[in-house]
Amino acid sequence: MVVSAPTTTEIVAQHLAGKRVPIGSIVFRAALLMALLTSLLILVTLLTSITAGAVPTFQERGLDFITSPLSLDPATAGVWSGIVGSAGIAALVTVIAFPLGIGTAVYLEEYASRGRLTNLLRTNVRNLASVPSIVYGLLGLAIFVRVVNLIGLSGTSSGRNILAAGVTMAVLVLPIVIITTSEALRAVPQTIREAGFGVGATKWEVIRHQVIPSAAPGILTGAVLAIARAFGETAPLLVIGVATGFFAAAADATFVERVTGSYTALPVVILSWSKQNDVQFADTLAPAAIVVLLAMLLTANAAAIIIRNRFDRNQQ
Amino acid sequence: MNIPTSDDDLRSRFSSLLGEIQSGLETMGSLVLENLDRAGIAMAESRLDLVPEIKNADLAINEMYTRLDTSTFETIARQAPVASDLRFLVSATRMLYEIERSGDLVVNCAKMLEREGGFPDNPLLRARIADIVAAVGSVFGQCVTAIAELPADAGITLDAADDVVDDLVSILYTEIGQQADEIGLTTAVALTRVGRFLERIADHAVNIGEHVTYIVTAKFPNAD
Amino acid sequence: MTDLTEAMSISPSVPEPGVVARSTPRVTLADSPSKHPPETGPTGEAVFDVRNLSVRYGDNVAVAGVSMEIHKNEITALIGPSGCGKSTVLRCFNRMNDIIEIARIEGSISYHGVDLYGKSVDAVEVRRRIGMVFQKPNPFPKSIYDNVAFGPKIAGFSGDMDDVVRDALERAALWDEVKDRLKTSAYALSGGQQQRLCIARAIATNPDVLLMDEPASALDPIATLRIEDLMQDLKHDYTIVIVTHNMQQAARVSDRTAFFNIRVDDQGQRTGYLVEYAGTGTIFTNPNQQATEDYITGRFG
Repeated sequence: MVVSAPTTTEIVAQHLAGKRVPIGSIVFRAALLMALLTSLLILVTLLTSITAGAVPTFQERGLDFITSPLSLDPATAGVWSGIVGSAGIAALVTVIAFPLGIGTAVYLEEYASRGRLTNLLRTNVRNLASVPSIVYGLLGLAIFVRVVNLIGLSGTSSGRNILAAGVTMAVLVLPIVIITTSEALRAVPQTIREAGFGVGATKWEVIRHQVIPSAAPGILTGAVLAIARAFGETAPLLVIGVATGFFAAAADATFVERVTGSYTALPVVILSWSKQNDVQFADTLAPAAIVVLLAMLLTANAAAIIIRNRFDRNQQ
Repeated sequence: MNIPTSDDDLRSRFSSLLGEIQSGLETMGSLVLENLDRAGIAMAESRLDLVPEIKNADLAINEMYTRLDTSTFETIARQAPVASDLRFLVSATRMLYEIERSGDLVVNCAKMLEREGGFPDNPLLRARIADIVAAVGSVFGQCVTAIAELPADAGITLDAADDVVDDLVSILYTEIGQQADEIGLTTAVALTRVGRFLERIADHAVNIGEHVTYIVTAKFPNAD
Repeated sequence: MTDLTEAMSISPSVPEPGVVARSTPRVTLADSPSKHPPETGPTGEAVFDVRNLSVRYGDNVAVAGVSMEIHKNEITALIGPSGCGKSTVLRCFNRMNDIIEIARIEGSISYHGVDLYGKSVDAVEVRRRIGMVFQKPNPFPKSIYDNVAFGPKIAGFSGDMDDVVRDALERAALWDEVKDRLKTSAYALSGGQQQRLCIARAIATNPDVLLMDEPASALDPIATLRIEDLMQDLKHDYTIVIVTHNMQQAARVSDRTAFFNIRVDDQGQRTGYLVEYAGTGTIFTNPNQQATEDYITGRFG
C-alpha cells in the first residue's frame, strides 16, 4: 500500500484546526456583568424604598400634597413652597448662568488668542468647577446677600431671599456651563468654520449661524447638568439662609414681597422633614418630596432631550 | 463604434479628445485619397503642372501628422487610457504613420512623373496605371471608412480587396516587360517603381484595416 | 449636458456682488469685475499675479519665493509632495490663511490688478468673489437648500432665493438628484453628492474664481470622475485653481500645472518652492526640470 503525501489542503486544515476555551474572556465578561448588576441593584433598592415611603402619601393626599404649603402638621404639609423656590432658583440660573457661561465659552474658544493667559483662565475655570459648593454658599452670604440688601430688595428676609440664592446658584453652576460649552465648541469640526469663511461669512456670522447651532446639542447637555445641579444643591442654600422650618407668606403678598421674602427649596424641604421629631415627616412625606424632586429633574431632562433631538435631526 | 458618447459619460473631455483624434485620422486619410486621385490624373494625362500641387498637399498632410501624433502622445500621457481606449490610442500612432507613409508614396509617384518629364504616350500602360490608381483608391477609401466606422472585420475585408491591386500590378509588370523595347529601359524602370509605390499604398491601407480590427477585437486578424 | 445649459438660460442670474445691500458697510474691491465675461474661452488674461510670495507660520517658512500667473477660464493645478506648500499657496488666493493667527504673508498677490493684501481690502469680500471647495466634503449641518442659500443670505441677497439655489445646484450637476428633497439634511447625501453640494454652495455667491483643495481625495473613483467632468463644464464660467495629490487628476483636468517641491536647509527646516510652471501637456510629456520628471514618473526622492 502506498502512503501518499498529505495534500496542501490537508496540511492547511491541520494548521487551522483547534478548539480554544477562552477562559480569560469568559471571566472578564462575567465580571463586567456583575458590575452592571450591582449598580442596577443599588438603584432599584433606592427607588423601591423611596417609592414605598411615598406611595401612601400620594394615595392619601393626591394632588393636595403638591399644592399645599409647608405646615407643622404632617396631615396638611405639602411641597408647594419648595417647588416654587426651586423653580425660581432654576429660572434665575437660566437667566444669569447660561448667557454668561455660553458667552464666556464662545469668547475663550473662538476669539481669545491662544496664549498663556487664555490657558491660565481655562485652568482656573476647571478648578472652579471642583470647588466645594459650601464655599459658594459663603461667597453668596458675603456678597450677594449684602448686595441684595444694598439695592433695597431685602424685603422681610434681610436679604436671605430667592434672589441671593438664585445668583449664588448661578455662580455655582457657571463653571459647568463654561466647560461643557467649551467642549461642545471645540468638538465642532474646523471644516465647518472654514466652510463658513469660504463663502464670505464674517467671524460673527460663522459663529452665530454655523458653530453655535452645531454645538447646540452639547451646550444643551451642559445646561441640563447645570439645572440638575441647581435643583439638587442644599449646602450653599443653608449657608445663605434658606428657611428650614415652617414659614408662610401672607396670602395677599405681592410678587415683590414673595420674591424678597423667605423662601425654601425642595432639597431643603426634604432635609428639614427628615429631621422632624414627628416620624411621619421622615417616613412618608420626605420620600414623597424626593419623588417630586426626581419628577422635576426628569422633566427638565426630557425637555432638553426633545430640544436636542430637534437640533440633531438636521445634522444627520 | 467603441467610443462612448452617452450622457452618462463621466469623461466627456477624454471622449471628445478620442473623437478628435479619430476624425483627424479620417480627415488625413481623405487628404491622401484626394492627392492620390490628383496623382492619377497627372500620370494619366502627363500633367506636370499638377506636381507642385501634389507636393504642397502632402506638406499639409505631414503637418497634420505631427499635430495628431503629438496630440495622441499627450492624450496617452495625460488620460491614462485602458482597454479599448488604450488600443485605440496606441493603434492611432501606428495608423498615423501608415497614412503619412501613404502620402509620401503618392508624392513619389508624382516625382517619378516629374523626373521622366511625363510618361510615354502608351495607351495600354497609361490605362493600366489608371486602373491600378482606381483600385488602390478603392482600397484606401475602404480603410478611411473603416477608421470612421470601426468594423471588426476591417482587416479581412481590406486584405481581400488588396488582392485586386496585387493582380493588376503583376499584369502591369508583364506589360512593361513586353513593351520595354518600345519605351526604353529607364522609363520601364520608372513605371515599375510607380507600380511598386501604388502597391505599397494599398499595403498600408491593409495594415490600417488590421489595426482597426485590433482596436475592436483586441486581436490581429491573422494572429490565429 | 444639454439640459443643464437649457436650464441655466431660463433661470435668472444670481446676485451681482457689489449690488447687494449689506447691513454693515465694507470696503469693496472697486476695480474687480462684477460679472462673468461672455464665454470666449481662455483669453490668457491673468486673474491672479503672484509675485515672490512667501508664507510663514511662526518661525517656519512654509513656502517661499513663488511667482506665477493664474489665467482666466483655465484650470490650474498645483501638485507636489506632502508639505510642499501647495495648499498654503492656494489658501493665499482667498485669504483663508488670515484665520490662522500665526500665518504671515510676504510678497504680493494681485487679483485683476488689485493687491489682495492691500490695506483697504476686506478678506470677507475677497472670499465672496473667490469661492473655495475643501478636501473633505464639509456641508453645514443643515438642509440642502440652506447650505446653498447661506452665502447669498449673509451677503444680504434679497431676490428670489429659490432661483439662486436652483441655479447653483444645476451648475454643480446636482439638481436632478436632489430637487425632490431640498429640505432634507445635507448629511443624507453620499460623499460625492456632498462635494457637489459644496461646489454649489461656493457657486451660489457668484464668484469668478473657484479654489479647490484636493476636492476628490475623499471620494471613490466614479464620484471623482464626476467632479472632474463638472470642472470641465465650470471652467467656461469660472477660473479654477485646484490642489491635488493625484498627478493623474492634474494631468486629466488641468490646462496648466505648477509643480512644487521641498527644500531642506542645514537646520533641517523644510520649505516649499515652485519648481516648474507650464502647460499641463508640457509638464507631463516633456518637463523642463529633472525634479519634475522624477516626481511625475514616480522616481521621487
